[in-house]
Amino acid sequence: MTTPFRRSIRQSLANSQLQQALDANAERRAHARQEALQRFGAEWDALRQQAHLVRAEVIAHLDHYLEQFTAQAQANGIQVHHATSAEQAVEQVLQICKKNQARLVAKSKSMVSEEIHLNQALEKRGIRVVETDLGEFIVQLRGEHPAHIITPAVHLRRQEVGKTFQEKLGIPYTDEIPALVQAARQTLRKVFLESDLGISGVNFGVAEDGTLCLVTNEGNGRMVVTLPRLHIALMGIERLLPTRQDLALMLRLLPRSATGQKLSVYTSLIRQPSIIPSGTPTQRHLILLDNGRQRLRNSPLREILYCIRCGACLNICPVFREIGGHAYVGAHGENAPYSGPMGAALMPGLFGRSDFGHLARASSLCGACKEACPVDIDLPSLLLRVRAGWQAAGERQPRAANAPFVLQTALRLFTWAATNPGRYDLAQRVAGALSRLLTSDQWMRLPAFTGWGYSKDFPRPASRPFRDRFPSLNASRAQEEHDRPKRAQPEQEKNPPSVVESTTDQLERFADELRQVGGTFIRCQRADLPDCLATCLQERGIDSLLAWEAELLPTGALEQIPPLGIQISHHPDPDAAAGITGALAAIAETGSLLLAEQPGAPLAVSLLPRLHIVLLDAHQIVESVAEALSLPQARAASSAVLITGPSRTADIEMSLTIGVHGPAELVVICWD
Amino acid sequence: MAENVQLFITCLIDTLYPEVGESVVRVLQRCGVSVEFPSGQTCCGQPAFNAGMRHEARRMAEHTIRVFEATRGALVVPSGSCAAMIRHRYAELFADDPQWLPRVQNLAERTYELTEFLVDKLGITALRAAFPGTIAYHASCHLLRELHVDRQPRLLLQTIPKARVIELPAAQECCGFGGVFSVEHPELSTAMLERKIHNILTSGADVVVACDTGCIMHINGGLHRRRLPTRVFHIAQVLDETGTFNQIPFKPDKQQSKTA
Repeated sequence: MTTPFRRSIRQSLANSQLQQALDANAERRAHARQEALQRFGAEWDALRQQAHLVRAEVIAHLDHYLEQFTAQAQANGIQVHHATSAEQAVEQVLQICKKNQARLVAKSKSMVSEEIHLNQALEKRGIRVVETDLGEFIVQLRGEHPAHIITPAVHLRRQEVGKTFQEKLGIPYTDEIPALVQAARQTLRKVFLESDLGISGVNFGVAEDGTLCLVTNEGNGRMVVTLPRLHIALMGIERLLPTRQDLALMLRLLPRSATGQKLSVYTSLIRQPSIIPSGTPTQRHLILLDNGRQRLRNSPLREILYCIRCGACLNICPVFREIGGHAYVGAHGENAPYSGPMGAALMPGLFGRSDFGHLARASSLCGACKEACPVDIDLPSLLLRVRAGWQAAGERQPRAANAPFVLQTALRLFTWAATNPGRYDLAQRVAGALSRLLTSDQWMRLPAFTGWGYSKDFPRPASRPFRDRFPSLNASRAQEEHDRPKRAQPEQEKNPPSVVESTTDQLERFADELRQVGGTFIRCQRADLPDCLATCLQERGIDSLLAWEAELLPTGALEQIPPLGIQISHHPDPDAAAGITGALAAIAETGSLLLAEQPGAPLAVSLLPRLHIVLLDAHQIVESVAEALSLPQARAASSAVLITGPSRTADIEMSLTIGVHGPAELVVICWD
Repeated sequence: MAENVQLFITCLIDTLYPEVGESVVRVLQRCGVSVEFPSGQTCCGQPAFNAGMRHEARRMAEHTIRVFEATRGALVVPSGSCAAMIRHRYAELFADDPQWLPRVQNLAERTYELTEFLVDKLGITALRAAFPGTIAYHASCHLLRELHVDRQPRLLLQTIPKARVIELPAAQECCGFGGVFSVEHPELSTAMLERKIHNILTSGADVVVACDTGCIMHINGGLHRRRLPTRVFHIAQVLDETGTFNQIPFKPDKQQSKTA
């Protein structure tokens, strides 16, 4: 009998478009990750172990951290809702929509929303939901599910995206990726501006201060949490970290493992609704979803709750590479939102072994997933536990294996023979003799239904097993003594060179990193700043701009602009061509800028225009993300964002395209 | 002073590849080691363990522990995944049994994969084998990622006179065997095997060498079905200059592989 899973495996293997798309994903992601890790050497593993301990601590004391996080978030003005089931979470979202008469929802990527089937529920109530992550947008237009937890359209090639856009958006067919990205930008820009509600996921929640951290590249995530009047964040209860320092650690691991970036373009840190008068959003809701997680926590599969959803295990998995995410289906053909190695452990853990336990059997246990995991989850062990019958029902006793009946019978027979040397000996002889009756060749061709015979021949058992040969081998030794092989002291594991701290100053390193992520660095004297800024705008033909209030920028910075006839607005105007901001800090190690919301300085200034110019005092440059996150103003900010380069996407064929929803150009003008 | 070792030959070598076992013994003896073979040994229990049948796996593990705890010296296993089973997986099988756990630990501490034992324990850097051709090394998954043994077999290969060791593309990628996986998911296993075979053919190697007969049986089974002449050998066969490996005529094979 062919199961839906087996059927979907066969379909995926036969789909040549899919095979090409998956090969491209595996190769590019593996390469990017390798590059990102190269300079770490042995330190990478130390970071992984440290991160593993942090996640273990959170899951071990989840109730404590949940309580602390909830209290902090509430004190910050976030409305926190606890949902034990998918239905309850959906109901809570519907209630918020109803109360606030929300009709149009802009949604950024959230795997939790896939898990609870939120879109379908909202659509059923007449609420329009638009996915705004490029990959999710494509998948939604096609009426599909995401095929990968961080690269939803991983299964598609550019030609298919072109056809989809032609059909659904009514644009002329093109398979040029930048043109496709622009088409999505135009369509979605309207949605961001007109939507009443933004729904996002959450990458991490920080227990000590109730911060929600969101990591994105395109800028859609920032739009969703910044522009609509309401924001709902959906989060699994396990996605907590004790402190901001732990967050800084995870931010070193997550982007590198996911996309090979040192830091994703936008790392949003959200603590409160907007504190700007008439700013958005006025309400922030957080839905904390259990949906089986507490039960899973009390099972031998608990380690899968350490997962930070980077997708590295999917990208490295040789099985995922063959079939992609859509092939991971339940016993009745239902979609598994979480796929690859982490999905094969999480799905049965959350939703039961009878529906999803078979996913854990589709693994050669090669261990590449464990090696790639940034928090060192022992995925092969978890898959083995699922196979052994453990699931998240609280029981610790092994239950029956979910191996096929024939296999179980064969292995029982084998065990019966292998636990008694006499029987084992006899079995070997019988196998040797029988196989000689069947064939005179060294190889046996087994029928396809055996599985092995599908594509491989089987070696014929020996007529004289090794145990019969050993005695004569042992007798014939002796005279070899004269010719000993070379020996040496076992080679000591060389200490890998530790990461060499560059001695060039922070300013130089910041400038280098900024350029590497596609930003422009301009250095000037303080006195020349107004001229330098004016020139920068003139060169780019800017006619209108947004800026922070003048008193929040360096004195006189904007004074050369009005004479050029350029309109300056201090209220987020979606049509402005440039945005001028200051920064709270800049980070040398990643080339990032830290901006915090304050009255007169809305975050939208750094998000809506195509050009973002940052005026930076060199003294604001700090070394690391950890340092920036612990600055008092950063800790106190209602919302803050780390910006690392212009907005970008690689959602179509892993091809990097600059300028999606956020700015396409980032310029830093710096003086010291 | 000859060192005594206990050879755990593994069920695959015992039954299907006794000539590999012979090479293992000769290589160890050449290194001045006295080899003992407790005849009560059978299988480590990995097939049942990987199938999820822990009860059966545990019975086989108990049997293996009983056989070897009556002996002394290092336990040498010419297979990465069987060595990893004893070293890492037995502890999980007996996690809830304080009586068995110390026995498991004792055995685990004595257990070495063959090349690990030769290089790290004996300090061997070169053996007298000679091979006038190109060798590509396939890194078996459990050897590489559970035992972290990679440098050792590569070192032994590199010091073979006249041999040219080349890098197999994606040498660390699984061949698709995975024990029960290969019979439960033949389509997936085959797709992974095709990739491995493709990499072997494009590498241009005369022979491929691995340290695990599971991978060897799998890849060779695929090569034979496809009528391709290239073969994967166990590292002991290559290091054993008196073994069958050195009597195999490689030159005609090489020509065939070029036309294949």
